[in-house]
Amino acid sequence: MPVVRLIAATEGGLPALGLPIGGVGLGSTTMTDDVVAEIALESAEERTLRFERDAMQYLDQLYGAAMRMTRNPADAEDLVQETYLKAFAAFGSFTDGTNLKAWLFRILTNTYINIYRKKQRQPYLTGTDDLTDGQLHDAESHTPRGLRSAEAEALDRLADTDVVEALAAVPEDFRMAVYLADVEGFSYKEIAEIMQTPVGTVMSRLHRGRKLLRELLEDYAIERGLIPAAVAADGGDES
Amino acid sequence: MSCGNPHATDCVEVLALVYAFLDGEVDDTDRARIAQHLDECSPCLRQYGLEQAVKSLVHRSCACEQAPDRLRIQIVTRIRQISITYRSSGPAD
Repeated sequence: MPVVRLIAATEGGLPALGLPIGGVGLGSTTMTDDVVAEIALESAEERTLRFERDAMQYLDQLYGAAMRMTRNPADAEDLVQETYLKAFAAFGSFTDGTNLKAWLFRILTNTYINIYRKKQRQPYLTGTDDLTDGQLHDAESHTPRGLRSAEAEALDRLADTDVVEALAAVPEDFRMAVYLADVEGFSYKEIAEIMQTPVGTVMSRLHRGRKLLRELLEDYAIERGLIPAAVAADGGDES
Repeated sequence: MSCGNPHATDCVEVLALVYAFLDGEVDDTDRARIAQHLDECSPCLRQYGLEQAVKSLVHRSCACEQAPDRLRIQIVTRIRQISITYRSSGPAD
């Protein structure tokens, strides 16, 4: 079939990626043969322009995520550049109509895991998905450390730098789940595809990440004098 | 754990779904049940308000990151170089 042969041919000569290629999951839609043929027949120049037009618009967002992953601007820049080069190399096989933003975030995540995480060997706060139910129990109970509505307002007065710092202290897999959901607004299904993990795991990472983050933010709020320590400690009114 | 008052939907069940509710990931039936519970139960509403505050705080604090201009230029330059190299060498068979 000529279309398939053309796609395969244009991929030749580019480095092997070891990446999942677009069209797998990420909400792919069925394309007509005409559209497939049109993309397959586009020149390298046309494809470069299409890439610049469609993919470069996510630069700030990918950079933001890379900053949350690497926690420093130099590594974040390298990671984003590497991500774009891999995405460009694989763009010929990217199926138009699939979720390009989620596809790029998946390449970013894979690249980070393959290159930076191995290199850094950073110690994490805890192993990823193994917090005990006991540690989660507090989040599910009404009483003790829950803040009063005035305390929700106090959290809202925290400086952005405090929030960024608190998020950086959350273990990586939890942090990225929270980031992808709350900053980028990805659905659970999209996060599952980006992080290559079941939806149930995404939900538990979000649950645990948010609980840890909330506790850290409460600590910051107390430290900054936005919440009197006594109020947070006495646990509020019992019902 | 319960606030002690009778509800059609138990507090534990509501709190277990509070993130999914917040993220718009519950179906219409659950959404209606949770919303009704939050109307009736102030401890759950307070907890919900807190989680909502954290979610919007994360969004507010992290969403305005801007990549340096030179990074954009660098990437576009590299991509064009690759594209030109590729065109001049032709597709590999």
